[in-house]
Amino acid sequence: MQVFVDGNGGRRVVARLVSLTVVSGLIAFAAVVGGTLLGAW
Amino acid sequence: MNRTPRVHWISILLGLLVLMSVVSFHAYTAVKPEPVRHLGAVRELPEHTLALAFHGGPDPKWTPRALDVLRDAGVKATFFVTGTQVTRNPEVTRRIVAEGHQVGIDGFRVEGDHGDPLNLEFAQAALADALGVHARLVGAPAEVDSGDRDFQDIGTLVRMSLRAKGGVVRLHDDGSIGADIVRELVKEPGYRFVPVPGGQVVAASAAERFTGTVTTWSQRNGGVVLVLLGTAIAIAALLGILRTLMQLGLAHTDRRLRRESEQAPPPWFAPPVSVVVPAYNEALNIAATVRSIAANNHLADVEVIVVDDGSTDGTADRAEELDLPGVTVIRQANQGKPAALNAGIRRARHDVLVLLDGDTIFEPDTIGQLVQPFADNGVGAVSGNAKVGNRQGVLGRWQHLEYCAGSNLDRQILHALRCIPTVPGAIGAFRKAAITDVGGVSDATLAEDTDLTMAVTRAGWRVAYRPQAKAWTEAPVTVPSLFRQRYRWSYGTFQAMWKHRGALVERGPMGRFGLIYLVMFHLLLPLLAPMMDLYVAYGFLVADAPLAAVVWTVFLLLQTASAGYALRLDGESLKPLWAYPLQQIVYRQLMYAVVIQSLITAVHGTQLRWMSVRRTGRLADAPGGTVHVI
Repeated sequence: MQVFVDGNGGRRVVARLVSLTVVSGLIAFAAVVGGTLLGAW
Repeated sequence: MNRTPRVHWISILLGLLVLMSVVSFHAYTAVKPEPVRHLGAVRELPEHTLALAFHGGPDPKWTPRALDVLRDAGVKATFFVTGTQVTRNPEVTRRIVAEGHQVGIDGFRVEGDHGDPLNLEFAQAALADALGVHARLVGAPAEVDSGDRDFQDIGTLVRMSLRAKGGVVRLHDDGSIGADIVRELVKEPGYRFVPVPGGQVVAASAAERFTGTVTTWSQRNGGVVLVLLGTAIAIAALLGILRTLMQLGLAHTDRRLRRESEQAPPPWFAPPVSVVVPAYNEALNIAATVRSIAANNHLADVEVIVVDDGSTDGTADRAEELDLPGVTVIRQANQGKPAALNAGIRRARHDVLVLLDGDTIFEPDTIGQLVQPFADNGVGAVSGNAKVGNRQGVLGRWQHLEYCAGSNLDRQILHALRCIPTVPGAIGAFRKAAITDVGGVSDATLAEDTDLTMAVTRAGWRVAYRPQAKAWTEAPVTVPSLFRQRYRWSYGTFQAMWKHRGALVERGPMGRFGLIYLVMFHLLLPLLAPMMDLYVAYGFLVADAPLAAVVWTVFLLLQTASAGYALRLDGESLKPLWAYPLQQIVYRQLMYAVVIQSLITAVHGTQLRWMSVRRTGRLADAPGGTVHVI
């Protein structure tokens, strides 16, 4: 087994969930703030 | 679920965008443009009716004074606020509304700063954050100027305020006189006081309140973010300077010691050598590689073992067709490079092993030079000097510069510190006993060369560097293939660092210097360095562009000088140095991306496969020129 490699896939699933949560949060954040500000135009 | 993670790039890009927006907005709020007064619509009021309209606030000192006077007189006024002031003084803003006064918007940074809708929205956002409301009054209506900006005499000011015998009276709450005028006006008999008509606020939408929270936070904390950014940059700059100083100092010392040893050279050491060439789909290069080894001028026996690791392009056939004496070709099912190396090492007859990739070209004296450090019985491994054989094009030049100014200089420092972490797969020599000591070449990492070198060092062997032993290797010719190669190197290096983390608590140079050096300069620096680019971009676009240009140019000149010195040390021409400044714009960022991608892959625990680099077989800068004709 290579170093770092996640044998049972659990870490990978958690990491992907965290990654998706972060990206969704950021997209929602950017959409709300950007939308409100640019919506003024 | 075995895909390479990619989603984080969107997060990183969006995160950087947000960060840049925060610091830019902070800078934007600090700039005060010239106020522009807009002549608002006339609001008809009955005669002897006054609407007091305050501008320029809220102010932490003077607005409360005006509010006190209004409260004592029982008069309700209208405050046309400025957005940035609302954010600075939310308590005062809340008091205005709590005491029953009306709020309108005068602009974001100054009065009349609502020429474009974005500014207006910034002001509404500030109000939404402080009060949770959206103002309907935007810009003051036509007013009777009290003259409080121009005159001091209170009698004059009162007369001016009442000259129309009614209407909206223009006052300011960012100075002392506004409250004094109100104190006198309310004493005037026969006047009624009302708020400016149509000024009722409405509840702000959730999006506006959230935007207000963000813009308010940015205005207040952008400075802190900038300080944090500056700290990261300072650390990165210090690391960069430290590295340059170490490179120049240690590399110079190392060279001097070498010159001294050249003046009184030790006896030439010529042990018999086994050369192991693991190859996977190297049909384009293998013939040139094997021929270059066979053409060696080493003074003892050199056997060559080519291990074809299940190639599908006829690599083994190409090697066998050469029919060169002393060359053995082993074929095995595809098991990976470590297994191929182990197979070759097992077959090797001699105690000194030279390991090289199937795309490397040796010079005639490479093997002889490479084995010289083995005259010292404590030396277990020797790194040679890998050179880029295809320097055509900007990408080739950049890699050539990086090999000389980065890897080779690094290696000289680490040689002086006795903790070279990587004997590169392109050219290295090992004592068979050292490899046996560590149980052969491990397949636990993708950088089997780094893993093996670290293991050998931890086993107590010394690792030397022999810059005179030159090998020419084919560098990737496209950006994607360069990314893939570096991704594997970087990820593999992190794997090896993690695998050998125990060295940190061991007595030995690998833990004391090697791992710390790698963490500082191959992990921390690439992660912090993008901040430098961000800061430069901020400097150019938002802050002081000439200063940013000067700082950037000075850094660039220092780095170019350092690279020039590295080229000189390596006996190379200074000509490719012109491509160095360009390297700062594309290549460097690519290298950051590699490190970030490697870290994320490590966190995800993704199984990264061996990613081969597409070969072209053209090593025009290597001795012998183009080595393959398709």
